Amino acid sequence: MELIIGGAYQGKWEYAKKLFPRAVWVSGENCTLEELLAAEGVYDFHNFLGRQMEQGADLEKLPELILEKNPGLVIVSDEVGYGVVPIDARDRAFREAVGRVCCELAARARRVHRVVCGIGTVIKDA
Amino acid sequence: MLTVITGGSASGKSAYAEDLVLSWGPAQRIYVATMYPFDRESEKRIVRHQKMRSGKGFQTVECYTGLEQIQVPPGSHVLLECMSNLAANEMFQESGAGENTVEAVMKGVCQLEKQASRLCVVTNEIFSDWQPYHTETKRYQKYLGEINCRMAQMAQQVVEVVYGIALYRKNTVETGAERGGNVL
Repeated sequence: MELIIGGAYQGKWEYAKKLFPRAVWVSGENCTLEELLAAEGVYDFHNFLGRQMEQGADLEKLPELILEKNPGLVIVSDEVGYGVVPIDARDRAFREAVGRVCCELAARARRVHRVVCGIGTVIKDA
Repeated sequence: MLTVITGGSASGKSAYAEDLVLSWGPAQRIYVATMYPFDRESEKRIVRHQKMRSGKGFQTVECYTGLEQIQVPPGSHVLLECMSNLAANEMFQESGAGENTVEAVMKGVCQLEKQASRLCVVTNEIFSDWQPYHTETKRYQKYLGEINCRMAQMAQQVVEVVYGIALYRKNTVETGAERGGNVL
Protein backbone atom coordinates (compact mmCIF):
# COMPACT_ATOMS: atom_id res chain seq x y z
CA MET A 1 0.00 0.00 0.00
CA GLU A 2 1.16 3.52 -0.82
CA LEU A 3 -0.24 6.59 0.91
CA ILE A 4 0.07 10.03 -0.67
CA ILE A 5 -1.11 12.94 1.47
CA GLY A 6 -0.89 16.71 1.54
CA GLY A 7 -3.05 19.83 1.63
CA ALA A 8 -5.83 20.48 -0.88
CA TYR A 9 -4.78 21.43 -4.45
CA GLN A 10 -1.13 20.50 -3.94
CA GLY A 11 -0.79 18.33 -7.05
CA LYS A 12 -1.03 15.07 -5.13
CA TRP A 13 -2.85 13.13 -7.84
CA GLU A 14 -0.52 14.44 -10.58
CA TYR A 15 2.40 13.30 -8.45
CA ALA A 16 0.76 9.92 -7.93
CA LYS A 17 0.08 9.47 -11.67
CA LYS A 18 3.74 10.13 -12.44
CA LEU A 19 4.80 7.54 -9.88
CA PHE A 20 2.23 5.00 -11.03
CA PRO A 21 1.59 5.79 -14.72
CA ARG A 22 -0.27 2.57 -15.47
CA ALA A 23 -2.58 2.55 -12.49
CA VAL A 24 -6.34 2.55 -13.03
CA TRP A 25 -7.94 5.08 -10.70
CA VAL A 26 -11.27 5.49 -8.99
CA SER A 27 -12.49 8.70 -7.39
CA GLY A 28 -13.31 8.94 -3.71
CA GLU A 29 -16.13 11.29 -4.75
CA ASN A 30 -18.24 8.49 -6.17
CA CYS A 31 -16.66 5.02 -5.92
CA THR A 32 -18.26 2.25 -3.91
CA LEU A 33 -16.41 0.24 -1.29
CA GLU A 34 -16.30 -2.71 -3.72
CA GLU A 35 -14.77 -0.51 -6.43
CA LEU A 36 -12.22 0.82 -3.97
CA LEU A 37 -11.24 -2.69 -2.93
CA ALA A 38 -10.76 -3.65 -6.61
CA ALA A 39 -8.99 -0.46 -7.78
CA GLU A 40 -5.28 0.14 -8.30
CA GLY A 41 -5.51 3.71 -7.08
CA VAL A 42 -8.00 6.02 -5.38
CA TYR A 43 -7.83 9.81 -5.28
CA ASP A 44 -9.89 12.16 -3.08
CA PHE A 45 -9.92 9.33 -0.55
CA HIS A 46 -11.02 11.75 2.21
CA ASN A 47 -14.29 12.24 0.31
CA PHE A 48 -14.81 8.49 0.29
CA LEU A 49 -14.46 8.58 4.08
CA GLY A 50 -16.95 11.46 4.29
CA ARG A 51 -19.52 9.52 2.26
CA GLN A 52 -18.96 6.36 4.31
CA MET A 53 -19.54 8.39 7.49
CA GLU A 54 -22.82 9.77 6.17
CA GLN A 55 -23.95 6.21 5.56
CA GLY A 56 -23.04 5.32 9.12
CA ALA A 57 -20.28 2.87 8.13
CA ASP A 58 -17.79 1.64 10.72
CA LEU A 59 -14.50 3.15 9.58
CA GLU A 60 -12.43 1.48 12.28
CA LYS A 61 -12.20 -1.75 10.30
CA LEU A 62 -11.53 -0.08 6.95
CA PRO A 63 -7.69 0.07 7.09
CA GLU A 64 -7.47 -3.64 7.88
CA LEU A 65 -10.02 -4.45 5.19
CA ILE A 66 -8.03 -2.54 2.55
CA LEU A 67 -4.83 -4.26 3.60
CA GLU A 68 -6.49 -7.65 3.40
CA LYS A 69 -8.42 -7.23 0.14
CA ASN A 70 -6.31 -4.72 -1.76
CA PRO A 71 -2.79 -4.51 -0.29
CA GLY A 72 -1.30 -2.84 -3.38
CA LEU A 73 -3.72 0.11 -3.41
CA VAL A 74 -2.35 3.62 -3.96
CA ILE A 75 -4.31 6.03 -1.77
CA VAL A 76 -4.33 9.78 -2.37
CA SER A 77 -5.95 11.78 0.42
CA ASP A 78 -6.15 15.37 1.56
CA GLU A 79 -4.35 15.91 4.85
CA VAL A 80 -6.86 17.77 7.02
CA GLY A 81 -6.79 19.02 10.60
CA TYR A 82 -4.22 21.83 10.47
CA GLY A 83 -6.69 24.60 11.25
CA VAL A 84 -8.75 25.68 14.24
CA VAL A 85 -11.13 22.93 15.42
CA PRO A 86 -14.48 23.60 13.68
CA ILE A 87 -17.58 24.64 15.62
CA ASP A 88 -19.83 22.13 13.82
CA ALA A 89 -19.75 18.68 15.45
CA ARG A 90 -20.02 16.85 12.11
CA ASP A 91 -17.08 18.80 10.71
CA ARG A 92 -15.07 17.87 13.79
CA ALA A 93 -16.02 14.21 13.45
CA PHE A 94 -15.01 14.22 9.77
CA ARG A 95 -11.49 15.56 10.30
CA GLU A 96 -11.09 13.25 13.29
CA ALA A 97 -12.10 10.24 11.13
CA VAL A 98 -9.76 11.20 8.27
CA GLY A 99 -6.92 11.53 10.77
CA ARG A 100 -7.53 8.25 12.55
CA VAL A 101 -7.94 6.25 9.34
CA CYS A 102 -4.86 7.83 7.75
CA CYS A 103 -2.78 7.10 10.90
CA GLU A 104 -3.74 3.44 10.57
CA LEU A 105 -3.06 3.42 6.83
CA ALA A 106 0.29 5.17 7.31
CA ALA A 107 1.31 2.54 9.87
CA ARG A 108 0.54 -0.22 7.35
CA ALA A 109 1.76 1.52 4.16
CA ARG A 110 5.02 0.56 2.51
CA ARG A 111 5.64 4.20 1.72
CA VAL A 112 4.05 7.49 2.76
CA HIS A 113 4.53 10.57 0.57
CA ARG A 114 3.67 14.13 1.58
CA VAL A 115 3.13 16.58 -1.27
CA VAL A 116 3.56 20.35 -0.92
CA CYS A 117 3.41 22.60 -4.02
CA GLY A 118 3.49 19.51 -6.22
CA ILE A 119 6.74 18.33 -4.64
CA GLY A 120 6.58 14.99 -2.91
CA THR A 121 8.71 13.97 0.06
CA VAL A 122 8.83 10.35 1.15
CA ILE A 123 8.30 10.54 4.93
CA LYS A 124 8.14 6.79 5.45
CA ASP A 125 9.91 4.09 3.47
CA ALA A 126 9.57 0.74 5.16
CA MET B 1 15.26 18.75 28.81
CA LEU B 2 12.23 19.73 26.75
CA THR B 3 10.69 17.94 23.77
CA VAL B 4 7.83 19.64 21.93
CA ILE B 5 5.51 17.48 19.86
CA THR B 6 3.20 19.14 17.40
CA GLY B 7 0.88 18.10 14.57
CA GLY B 8 -2.65 18.40 13.27
CA SER B 9 -5.82 16.99 14.79
CA ALA B 10 -5.90 13.19 14.95
CA SER B 11 -2.36 12.97 13.58
CA GLY B 12 -1.10 10.42 16.13
CA LYS B 13 0.72 12.99 18.32
CA SER B 14 -0.37 11.50 21.64
CA ALA B 15 0.54 7.92 20.81
CA TYR B 16 3.94 9.09 19.60
CA ALA B 17 4.47 11.24 22.72
CA GLU B 18 3.61 8.37 25.06
CA ASP B 19 5.98 6.01 23.24
CA LEU B 20 8.72 8.63 23.42
CA VAL B 21 8.31 9.11 27.17
CA LEU B 22 8.36 5.32 27.69
CA SER B 23 11.57 5.13 25.61
CA TRP B 24 13.23 7.46 28.13
CA GLY B 25 13.34 4.49 30.48
CA PRO B 26 12.21 3.94 34.03
CA ALA B 27 11.33 6.97 36.13
CA GLN B 28 8.32 8.33 37.92
CA ARG B 29 5.99 9.27 35.06
CA ILE B 30 3.60 12.18 35.47
CA TYR B 31 0.87 13.02 32.98
CA VAL B 32 -0.36 16.59 33.19
CA ALA B 33 -3.89 16.49 31.77
CA THR B 34 -5.28 19.83 30.62
CA MET B 35 -8.55 19.00 28.90
CA TYR B 36 -11.52 20.29 30.86
CA PRO B 37 -14.52 17.91 30.68
CA PHE B 38 -17.08 20.51 29.66
CA ASP B 39 -19.30 18.28 27.50
CA ARG B 40 -19.84 14.67 26.41
CA GLU B 41 -17.46 14.96 23.48
CA SER B 42 -14.57 16.11 25.66
CA GLU B 43 -15.43 13.45 28.24
CA LYS B 44 -15.24 10.79 25.53
CA ARG B 45 -11.94 12.22 24.35
CA ILE B 46 -10.55 12.13 27.88
CA VAL B 47 -11.62 8.49 28.31
CA ARG B 48 -9.96 7.61 24.98
CA HIS B 49 -6.69 9.13 26.20
CA GLN B 50 -6.98 7.45 29.60
CA LYS B 51 -7.37 4.07 27.88
CA MET B 52 -4.40 4.79 25.61
CA ARG B 53 -2.04 5.47 28.48
CA SER B 54 -3.36 2.90 30.95
CA GLY B 55 -0.75 0.39 31.99
CA LYS B 56 2.09 2.72 30.96
CA GLY B 57 2.80 3.81 34.52
CA PHE B 58 1.62 7.41 34.34
CA GLN B 59 0.30 9.20 37.38
CA THR B 60 -2.25 11.78 36.23
CA VAL B 61 -2.25 15.34 37.52
CA GLU B 62 -5.09 17.54 36.29
CA CYS B 63 -4.27 21.11 35.45
CA TYR B 64 -6.81 23.30 33.69
CA THR B 65 -5.23 26.64 34.56
CA GLY B 66 -2.27 27.85 36.64
CA LEU B 67 0.44 25.50 35.38
CA GLU B 68 3.05 27.23 37.53
CA GLN B 69 1.33 25.89 40.67
CA ILE B 70 1.99 22.29 39.60
CA GLN B 71 4.65 20.42 41.54
CA VAL B 72 6.19 17.27 40.11
CA PRO B 73 8.75 14.99 41.79
CA PRO B 74 12.37 15.88 41.02
CA GLY B 75 13.82 13.63 38.35
CA SER B 76 10.43 12.61 36.99
CA HIS B 77 9.48 12.23 33.34
CA VAL B 78 6.56 14.52 32.57
CA LEU B 79 4.13 14.50 29.66
CA LEU B 80 1.89 17.55 29.34
CA GLU B 81 -1.08 17.19 27.04
CA CYS B 82 -2.28 19.30 25.41
CA MET B 83 -1.01 22.87 25.21
CA SER B 84 -3.91 23.89 22.95
CA ASN B 85 -6.35 23.07 25.76
CA LEU B 86 -4.28 24.73 28.47
CA ALA B 87 -3.96 27.93 26.41
CA ALA B 88 -7.72 27.95 25.70
CA ASN B 89 -8.49 27.39 29.40
CA GLU B 90 -6.22 30.25 30.43
CA MET B 91 -7.83 32.53 27.86
CA PHE B 92 -11.47 31.69 28.30
CA GLN B 93 -12.00 30.30 31.82
CA GLU B 94 -12.80 32.65 34.67
CA SER B 95 -9.84 31.44 36.71
CA GLY B 96 -7.57 31.83 33.69
CA ALA B 97 -4.86 34.35 32.91
CA GLY B 98 -6.80 36.05 30.09
CA GLU B 99 -4.58 38.54 28.30
CA ASN B 100 -1.54 37.25 30.19
CA THR B 101 -1.98 33.70 28.89
CA VAL B 102 1.34 33.47 27.04
CA GLU B 103 3.40 34.66 30.01
CA ALA B 104 1.50 32.51 32.50
CA VAL B 105 1.85 29.37 30.40
CA MET B 106 5.54 29.93 29.64
CA LYS B 107 6.28 30.49 33.33
CA GLY B 108 4.60 27.17 34.02
CA VAL B 109 6.54 25.35 31.30
CA CYS B 110 9.85 26.72 32.63
CA GLN B 111 8.96 25.68 36.19
CA LEU B 112 8.04 22.17 35.06
CA GLU B 113 11.18 21.80 33.01
CA LYS B 114 13.29 22.74 36.05
CA GLN B 115 11.58 20.18 38.29
CA ALA B 116 11.41 17.27 35.85
CA SER B 117 14.40 15.50 34.39
CA ARG B 118 12.59 15.34 31.08
CA LEU B 119 9.50 17.16 29.90
CA CYS B 120 7.45 16.45 26.80
CA VAL B 121 4.74 18.92 25.77
CA VAL B 122 2.15 18.04 23.15
CA THR B 123 0.75 20.98 21.24
CA ASN B 124 -1.35 21.44 18.12
CA GLU B 125 -1.09 22.92 14.64
CA ILE B 126 -4.15 25.12 14.25
CA PHE B 127 -2.59 27.71 12.00
CA SER B 128 -2.66 26.42 8.43
CA ASP B 129 -6.18 27.08 7.38
CA TRP B 130 -8.26 30.14 6.73
CA GLN B 131 -11.82 30.76 7.72
CA PRO B 132 -13.48 34.03 8.72
CA TYR B 133 -12.54 33.41 12.34
CA HIS B 134 -13.84 35.56 15.17
CA THR B 135 -11.48 38.05 16.78
CA GLU B 136 -11.27 35.82 19.85
CA THR B 137 -10.30 32.82 17.76
CA LYS B 138 -7.59 34.82 15.99
CA ARG B 139 -6.29 35.91 19.38
CA TYR B 140 -6.24 32.27 20.45
CA GLN B 141 -4.18 31.38 17.36
CA LYS B 142 -1.82 34.25 18.13
CA TYR B 143 -1.31 33.18 21.74
CA LEU B 144 -0.83 29.49 20.96
CA GLY B 145 1.47 30.37 18.04
CA GLU B 146 3.61 32.50 20.37
CA ILE B 147 3.69 29.76 23.00
CA ASN B 148 4.74 27.17 20.39
CA CYS B 149 7.52 29.39 19.03
CA ARG B 150 8.84 30.15 22.51
CA MET B 151 8.71 26.51 23.60
CA ALA B 152 10.48 25.46 20.40
CA GLN B 153 13.28 27.95 21.12
CA MET B 154 13.79 26.45 24.57
CA ALA B 155 13.41 22.86 23.41
CA GLN B 156 16.13 20.38 22.55
CA GLN B 157 13.74 18.54 20.29
CA VAL B 158 10.78 19.66 18.19
CA VAL B 159 8.87 16.92 16.44
CA GLU B 160 6.02 17.27 13.94
CA VAL B 161 3.93 14.10 13.79
CA VAL B 162 2.19 13.41 10.46
CA TYR B 163 -0.23 10.49 10.66
CA GLY B 164 1.99 8.75 13.17
CA ILE B 165 5.26 9.53 11.35
CA ALA B 166 7.73 11.69 13.29
CA LEU B 167 9.46 14.50 11.43
CA TYR B 168 12.18 16.04 13.60
CA ARG B 169 12.20 19.81 13.04
CA LYS B 170 14.87 20.38 15.69
CA ASN B 171 17.12 17.93 17.47
CA THR B 172 20.12 19.06 19.48
CA VAL B 173 20.34 15.80 21.41
CA GLU B 174 23.44 14.06 20.06
CA THR B 175 22.63 10.52 21.17
CA GLY B 176 20.41 9.12 23.84
CA ALA B 177 23.11 6.77 25.11
CA GLU B 178 24.90 9.03 27.61
CA ARG B 179 21.57 10.00 29.13
CA GLY B 180 20.63 6.40 29.57
CA GLY B 181 17.72 6.57 27.15
CA ASN B 182 17.00 6.23 23.48
CA VAL B 183 16.00 8.96 21.13
CA LEU B 184 13.28 7.68 18.86
